[in-house]
Amino acid sequence: MASRSSGSGSGSGGKTRVGRYELGRTLGEGTFAKVKFARNVESAENVAIKILDKEKLLKHKMISQIKREISTMKLIRHPNVIRMFEVMASKTKIYIVLEFVTGGELFDKIATQGRLKEDEARKYFQQLINAVDYCHSRGVFHRDLKPENLLLDANGVLKVSDFGLSALPQQVREDGLLHTTCGTPNYVAPEVINNKGYDGAKADLWSCGVILFVLMAGYLPFEESNLMSLYQKIFKADFTCPSWLSSSAKKLIKRILDPSPMTRITIAELIENEWFKKGYKPPTFEQADVSLDDVDAVFDESGDTQNLVVERREERATPVSMNAFELISKSQGLNLSSLFETQMGLVKRETRFTSKCPANEIISKIEEAAVPLGFDVKKNNYKLKLQGEKTGRKGHLSIATEVFEVAPSLCMVELRKAGGDTLEFHNFYKNLATGLKDIVWKSVDETKEEANDGVGFVSS
Amino acid sequence: MNLIDCRKISSALMGCYCSKNTRRTPGYEDPTVLAAETPFTVSEVEALYELFKKLSSSIIDDGLIHKEEFQLALFMNRNKRNLFADRIFDLFDVKRNGVIDFGEFVRSLSVFHPNAPVIDKISFAFKLYDLRYTGYIAREELKEMVLALLDESDLILSEEFVELIMEKTFKEADMNGDGRIDQEEWKEFVSKNPSLIKNMTLPYLKWGYNLSISQLCNEL
Repeated sequence: MASRSSGSGSGSGGKTRVGRYELGRTLGEGTFAKVKFARNVESAENVAIKILDKEKLLKHKMISQIKREISTMKLIRHPNVIRMFEVMASKTKIYIVLEFVTGGELFDKIATQGRLKEDEARKYFQQLINAVDYCHSRGVFHRDLKPENLLLDANGVLKVSDFGLSALPQQVREDGLLHTTCGTPNYVAPEVINNKGYDGAKADLWSCGVILFVLMAGYLPFEESNLMSLYQKIFKADFTCPSWLSSSAKKLIKRILDPSPMTRITIAELIENEWFKKGYKPPTFEQADVSLDDVDAVFDESGDTQNLVVERREERATPVSMNAFELISKSQGLNLSSLFETQMGLVKRETRFTSKCPANEIISKIEEAAVPLGFDVKKNNYKLKLQGEKTGRKGHLSIATEVFEVAPSLCMVELRKAGGDTLEFHNFYKNLATGLKDIVWKSVDETKEEANDGVGFVSS
Repeated sequence: MNLIDCRKISSALMGCYCSKNTRRTPGYEDPTVLAAETPFTVSEVEALYELFKKLSSSIIDDGLIHKEEFQLALFMNRNKRNLFADRIFDLFDVKRNGVIDFGEFVRSLSVFHPNAPVIDKISFAFKLYDLRYTGYIAREELKEMVLALLDESDLILSEEFVELIMEKTFKEADMNGDGRIDQEEWKEFVSKNPSLIKNMTLPYLKWGYNLSISQLCNEL
């Protein structure tokens, strides 16, 4: 029985291996990078892998900057900074292996629980400052501190991500210069918006100040729907602290959110601040020896290919076997969509049936039944993509199909509308069911239903 | 101006559902309050109230969802017993009084919102499967659920195959090998198998239900 690869997220489509890592689902995507969940097959440790496209980096003349930043990041080992384990490269990609944390974003807490109590906010702020101070002491600046970059591990410890990789969120214009493109400038220091060169440490501290405000207030200090009005507020530091903040917290925020970088509080001064010092425990950690051999190998320009890894796909011999929870999750009692569908006369977008036939026979039968109905079939192991040749009411009808193994002699087949019109999907599977009559397994109860229903389908 | 006048004015300004609807149900809460506490917008809460009224009046018109009404909505059959539907009902019934009021309905459904934090979905699923409220998912609980699913789906599997499924699952999920799955193990297991919480997200909740049925069908 084949077991589902941990975190593969790719169903039965086989596993992709890079070096000793098995790649899984995509966690995030940007202009230059994609982040994927992965598992070290030797240690079974979960990691996140940031995948950079070499061609894009070369095109934008970013290779040397990326090398410099990766080298610096590799040297950073701090309990509040997402750790970089190693760097690998294939002919076309660079793979940065990072620590994977499961606690979600810090700001998810605020989204669900509202603002934090002052003591809790201070605890997270202290951890943030620890991380920022440590990185600054090693000449690394973040330049893009924002909620998405503040993660929590399983124990609720704050971890700052994307430290040092400041070249990535930036864009190169025709003039060949780097220009910061802020999606939302809410966390960005006024001098950065001015784009006239700035002190990275002071700019990072401003962002920390905005984050502290949000943690305790539950909303942003500067928020305007009009971008120019927002800039004006940021330039003047035009904000008001809510009444529930203590006076010492208000004073500190005002010292951090000082629009003039010259008079803005420094981290050294901040660490001595009475409000900040309350319950403060300086971090303890060991400084281990770090090798940069992998970084040098990745950016080796001698044309030596012996250090390159290959991204290879391993095909599956058998369908994905379902674990108990996957099986349970198919219960109609857990499908709350029915609350909406039955009340609003909506048509189901997913269906499934069980079969005692071997998986490859099921795949062949579905293909045989779908082609005469005017569908193009793409196969990927035990997954099928059925694409309607005719344009329907809402474009081409597209159906994703997957075969799972429940037990050695029992398969479950899922059909899901991936695109097109839902009513057309409904009609399609009624027609398809006719062609699959001999492979659908029917128990006594289903046979009774068959008189009304046509076939033993379990809708979901 | 007294408090009631103020509330009338704020309701009018907010376009609250409560100002349009004179007949209140027990456990009714102001949509603005519910919207502030959940990922829903005010208009989505108002639309959920429309759905709630339909569900809560399907058998007993008392503005509360009874278990039979919940089963009727899920299975179009008021008498169909289902372990999982019972579990969901019990978790929605936060006050443990055998019925679901409007506030409970909205707050519980908020976990299923596409924008709800994944950690909340993971936690809700864990509570769902922790049948005996022990803080663990025990092997016998999981087996009970597998058998319930097989029965519900009219699938007949030999004891040997059921044990195979159990063995495989515990080998993957029970990392410390103590014969039960704790919250940390569950979190880790879901991070490796995200499909396990796929049913914890209802795409329908993303569209405001102030859309007409025909618009909604078109949208889907």
